[in-house]
Amino acid sequence: MSAVTGAQGVRPAGYAVLRVRRAALLVHRRAAGVAVALALLLAASCLAYLCVGESFVHPVDALEVVFGQPSPDELVVGTLREPRMVLGLLVGAAFGVAGALIQTVARNPLASPDIIGISHGASALTVGAMTFGVTSYTVLPLLSVLGGIAAAALVYVFAWRGGLHAARFVLIGIGFAIALRSVTTLFMTKGDYLVAQQAQIWMTGSLNGRGWNEANPLALTLLVLLPFVLWAARAQRAAGLDDDTATALGTRLGRVRLGLVLLGVVLASVATGAAGPVDFVALLAPQTARRLTRTAQLPLLCSALLGALIVVLADLLARRLFSPTELPVGVLTAAVGAPYLIWLIVRSRSVRPGGTP
Amino acid sequence: MSAPVRLSVPVRRVTVLAAAVVALLLAVLLSLAVGARAIAPSAVFDALLHGGHGDSAEVIREMRVPRTVTGVLVGASLAVAGTVLQGITRNPIADPGILGISQGASVAVVLAIAYAGVHTLTGYVWWAFAGAGLASVAVHAIASGGRGGATPVKLALGGAAVNALLVSVTTGVLTTKASALDEFRFWQVGSLSGRDSDIVGRIWPFLLVGLLLVLAVARGLDALALGDDVAKGIGQNVAAVRIVGGLGATVLTAAGVAAAGPIAFIGLAVPHIARALVGGDHRWVLPLAALIGPVMLLVSDTLGRIVFPPSEVPAGVMTALIGVPFLVMLVRRKTVAA
Repeated sequence: MSAVTGAQGVRPAGYAVLRVRRAALLVHRRAAGVAVALALLLAASCLAYLCVGESFVHPVDALEVVFGQPSPDELVVGTLREPRMVLGLLVGAAFGVAGALIQTVARNPLASPDIIGISHGASALTVGAMTFGVTSYTVLPLLSVLGGIAAAALVYVFAWRGGLHAARFVLIGIGFAIALRSVTTLFMTKGDYLVAQQAQIWMTGSLNGRGWNEANPLALTLLVLLPFVLWAARAQRAAGLDDDTATALGTRLGRVRLGLVLLGVVLASVATGAAGPVDFVALLAPQTARRLTRTAQLPLLCSALLGALIVVLADLLARRLFSPTELPVGVLTAAVGAPYLIWLIVRSRSVRPGGTP
Repeated sequence: MSAPVRLSVPVRRVTVLAAAVVALLLAVLLSLAVGARAIAPSAVFDALLHGGHGDSAEVIREMRVPRTVTGVLVGASLAVAGTVLQGITRNPIADPGILGISQGASVAVVLAIAYAGVHTLTGYVWWAFAGAGLASVAVHAIASGGRGGATPVKLALGGAAVNALLVSVTTGVLTTKASALDEFRFWQVGSLSGRDSDIVGRIWPFLLVGLLLVLAVARGLDALALGDDVAKGIGQNVAAVRIVGGLGATVLTAAGVAAAGPIAFIGLAVPHIARALVGGDHRWVLPLAALIGPVMLLVSDTLGRIVFPPSEVPAGVMTALIGVPFLVMLVRRKTVAA
């Protein structure tokens, strides 16, 4: 770690100091650049999302609708596309951050909400309810939030033994996840195939026919969680260290990890409630973001932006690829996100542990 | 992390291995004797050894023997494959499922059902095999790109990415073709029911080849556990170990999934159980995994026949339900050796 020493103190390499009067903030230069680039990409994708569809809307007209000008395209853009796009943005961002937090605590790049049982808890409860004839679209999302949080709580209780050991946590989580998935597939063989099909679509994650009803509560929840996410961005640095180092530095590791996991669980659960478990966003977004920013931690802001980008682009493809048939967005999230991660892996330069590539 | 060295380690290993053999024999006997029609062990031996006649003997020979043998083969292959994959990637949660190999088989089966008009178990076998093989090759090709070759992290992430892509293909077909889903959901659960001797005949040669490949790199896996640099330093060819081991794990997974569907959990949990019993030496862990895997699968399958008579709970479901408490106990008992 090289550092630049000046009159102002120590500045780690690759960081810039932002000063506003007496407050100072360390900003990772490359991460900031990546975040800006991702935000621009995301804005362009959103505009494309609003314009492209059964009928093409001119970008200028689409923007008029978004900014509340009266327009003949009000119905198509404002009523059909916009709410669904907003939901996709929120879901993607929530999964991206949730994935980053869970992977940080688990110290394992393979960890994601489905690893620690959230998605499978949600699926088991929801698909079970479907099998027993529950069809209400107000009850099912609540059930999935409940199932996700309950599953994660169980995992946490069983993994806790004088602290949350990363490997233990992940192993017990994945055990529960597999058990819950088995139960879910068993439910799927018990119902008739129409129920199975409905369950399959739900488990894939879909934005079809959803809008403000799902987006509003999700937006509110995320707003409430925002301060916690900001806390997490700072606390995360310590949680990524190994136990001894963190303890030596005086971090209350147990509490920090509990907080981070809790936040990740809630984020993933509410997103799952809104759109079903779109699992791979949480796995792909943080890992891809980190390879772009080359930071030591998984960058939360970039993970959120990338998650949103993956979901919006995937849903655009899901709507248009086989139109008039609309695919569930979960079918295409991996198809959008995975090739990029694969490309990053393939062209990666030799990474020495602990060093910057 | 290694267990504290005690003088009795060799003795303990032999004892554990012997106990595992006994457990396997008991599991086989249970699997033959228990079911919709309970058959006394004496009658089981009679049917097997003296060619007894009558309904019970017919049931045993025609239905239960193939099913039990399939269970032994599948359990062993998945457990050993999981052990090797965890060694290669140095990741305690690596198993055929998370690295996309099982998913490769699933994709192939889905495509076979949806577009090739394949509708029989024996028809699925070759498709599953080809799919698992292709998925494995893809994972390795991705991981060995760039400089530094196939490092554990690149293998794990490459596997996860390939797995994600394959899942999307599977769900894409299943959400658009209801008829395929209607058939596939029964295979996806993972089960031993209805497996006949034909399937056994198809998969045992692959199991044998896979086991030989894997045992050949047992020492190499021990070296990998110390980290790539150390392994190179003590004269192991790291890349060769990964490729041969990976090939073995692929052949084993393919055979297992082809025969019984993507049964989860065995590939993940058995390696941990085996390491907890005999330590990290792969020359002991691999054979032990090959014994414990079938015990787990056969016991699960047998219990699945009797919990909700007359219907059966598929082995793939029971495995996880029985296995989770085991894994939890084990993982809570000690720090996890990864």
